[in-house]
Amino acid sequence: MIKLLIEKELKNILLSPKFAATFLVCSILILTSVYIGVQEYHTAVAQYEANQQIATQDIAQATNWGSVRNQVHRKPNPMQVFVSGLHFDVGRVSRISGSQDVKLIRSPYSDETLFALFRFIDLTFIVQVVLSLFAILFTYDAINGERENGTLKLAFANSVSRASYLISKFAGVWIGLIVPLLIPILIALLVTTLMGVPISGGDWASISGFIGLSILYVTFFIGIGLLVSSITRKSSLSFLLLLVIWIGGVLILPRMSVMASGQIVEVESIAQLEAKQEAYQKARWDEYSSTISKTWRERSQEMEGMDEAERQAYRDEREWDWLEEDDAARKQVQLDITDNNRKLIEETMNQKKLQERVAFSLARISPASSFRLAAMNIAGTDIDMKSRYEESMRGYRDDFTAYTQKKQAESGTRNGFNINIDSDSGVKIDFGRDDQTLDTSEMPQYSAPVLTAGSTLSKSVLDFGLLGIFIILTFAGTFVSFLRYDMR
Amino acid sequence: MPNADSSNHNTMETANETIKQAPLLEARNLTKVYEDGVKALDNLNIKVMPGEIYAMLGGNGAGKTTTINIFLDFIQPTSGNAFINGIDSNSDPLEAKKNVAFVSENVQLYPNFTALQNIDFFVRLGGKSNYKRSDYENALTRVGLQSEAFDKKLRDFSKGMRQKCGIAIAILKNAPAILLDEPTSGLDPKAGKEFTKLIGELRDEGKAILMSTHDIFRAKEISDHVGILNNGELVAQRTNAELKGVNLEQLYVEYMAGYMEETNQNLVLTNDLN
Repeated sequence: MIKLLIEKELKNILLSPKFAATFLVCSILILTSVYIGVQEYHTAVAQYEANQQIATQDIAQATNWGSVRNQVHRKPNPMQVFVSGLHFDVGRVSRISGSQDVKLIRSPYSDETLFALFRFIDLTFIVQVVLSLFAILFTYDAINGERENGTLKLAFANSVSRASYLISKFAGVWIGLIVPLLIPILIALLVTTLMGVPISGGDWASISGFIGLSILYVTFFIGIGLLVSSITRKSSLSFLLLLVIWIGGVLILPRMSVMASGQIVEVESIAQLEAKQEAYQKARWDEYSSTISKTWRERSQEMEGMDEAERQAYRDEREWDWLEEDDAARKQVQLDITDNNRKLIEETMNQKKLQERVAFSLARISPASSFRLAAMNIAGTDIDMKSRYEESMRGYRDDFTAYTQKKQAESGTRNGFNINIDSDSGVKIDFGRDDQTLDTSEMPQYSAPVLTAGSTLSKSVLDFGLLGIFIILTFAGTFVSFLRYDMR
Repeated sequence: MPNADSSNHNTMETANETIKQAPLLEARNLTKVYEDGVKALDNLNIKVMPGEIYAMLGGNGAGKTTTINIFLDFIQPTSGNAFINGIDSNSDPLEAKKNVAFVSENVQLYPNFTALQNIDFFVRLGGKSNYKRSDYENALTRVGLQSEAFDKKLRDFSKGMRQKCGIAIAILKNAPAILLDEPTSGLDPKAGKEFTKLIGELRDEGKAILMSTHDIFRAKEISDHVGILNNGELVAQRTNAELKGVNLEQLYVEYMAGYMEETNQNLVLTNDLN
């Protein structure tokens, strides 16, 4: 019975004009998106390699270790073809220098503002927006449409249980929608490998995870479509309701949650932070000034009644201690200011993290957010990508700085030049240049942070779980609703 | 007007008299009161024996479709029972529905499927999976569908053509009982006539047919029993023999208008219905 009903459902979907239109649109979208993604990846790789080469040449051509400047680039990730995430928004390059902090600059969209305006449509977007919409189009009238047509009554005039009908309905729609849509995705994967994108074993695991996630996400929309179709009598009403749910869940809720988290958890702006830092700094220096004035007055008082010679002798005897005492007080002030600055930054960062967590928690009410967050985690193009890269680049900066300083010391230069004072030749400034290129063979090389498929998938467990719960809830609701559904 | 199939019918009647048979469709003290307090059925008692056609007449809201819906377990009765081949359709609907075929007022099948694909699905859903394509074609030919239409999609079919498909499905299900909910409504006279003839043939094959209809003349022409329902109550019941020479239309109008309310004792219960 179930097999027959599934067959019917499948046949009904496959023979419908909306399936042909959906299949065509999805195939074109998926293949175009992946093709453009692959092209963009190759461009990024070429750019990355050229920049790496230029950076290496620049270092090699330098004749003084003190003047060596390096820059490292974010390595293109094959997964960005499918899940661009924040790839286009995060900078691609950072200077590596002991005197300045690591900062990723020049994101693809900052270079190509036209593409920022009309953003790249990746597979995540297609699944999140287009496929979810199609899932609704295929299910909004799954039950009430059959009631309106009279086929539900005709079917249930036979010995058919509601449970088996519903299971078949779900299975039929699911197979009818998911399997044909996997075809362009598989073709797209084939195209990706044929076009020379190096997909590692870990990437294949991530791709499998992403496909599984997409299936769960579309399954949820099939579930919600069936649920709404089983609680309404008219397909026009269920379509309207589902459209509202879709707009709310896919387009509004994720953005609203970010706005709401901004209201719930206040994070100081950079200007506010700097103002706070300056206020503390001023207060601390004022306090220092009054303390030091008081100290100086006390010292003067100690010398009252002495003649000039005694005063001088008294001062000479204590001057060094006084200087050290004053210096220690000043250093303490500087230390306090640095500590306070660090504390304020830390507090702001913690608030930011809290705001982020609140935003994500609220956003996860919508399966669309769960899907997007999990997809970006799987692909490694997530919100932590920037900090992950900057952290690894900071580690590299420390190694690089230590190495160049060591080489600099070995070459006898310090701070870029030596000043030699000789009675015969006078003053000689030596910049350490020896007209030979530097041997950079042992120079530490930057390696991009490595994400294992296991770690990325484990980061997505929560979202996988949430999607699973959403699916169970929709199906339980549909089941309860359909058991009481009026077939007439 | 004499029944076109009266000779066959008489044969069946003789058979029924000699073999004591149980009703294939029976409404016993069937009452349905909706949540809003509307009484759709009031203590309805109907029996349809094998080889009989029972026509339920009545206006809109009289309770005809409600009766059929209770037989098909689409709604639960407030009290009483509906039996199909002796099985209570509300306590064991899956088993009961194996014994009944249903043709609705406006047969709607899957528009993306051809006539044969639709028939194949619904017949198999009815539990018959051993038919061949030729069996489907024979059934469609029997109900008068042109062979050119067999492989055409249902979206292009007229109401009459869809009704023919519906009755073909019912024939192929080969259930002992058939429920027809205003099957000739909206059909042109020719299609209506063909349909009536077909129903008569099915009756002659021994099927018990319960039919709701507005069509007084067709009901008189084909039915073995006619019941008139008004506000959920069976206000009159006549056998085909009792209707001979009676103006059924006038009878119907009078009962529906409540003129005959005081003469409810005239409600005839024939022996075979007791």
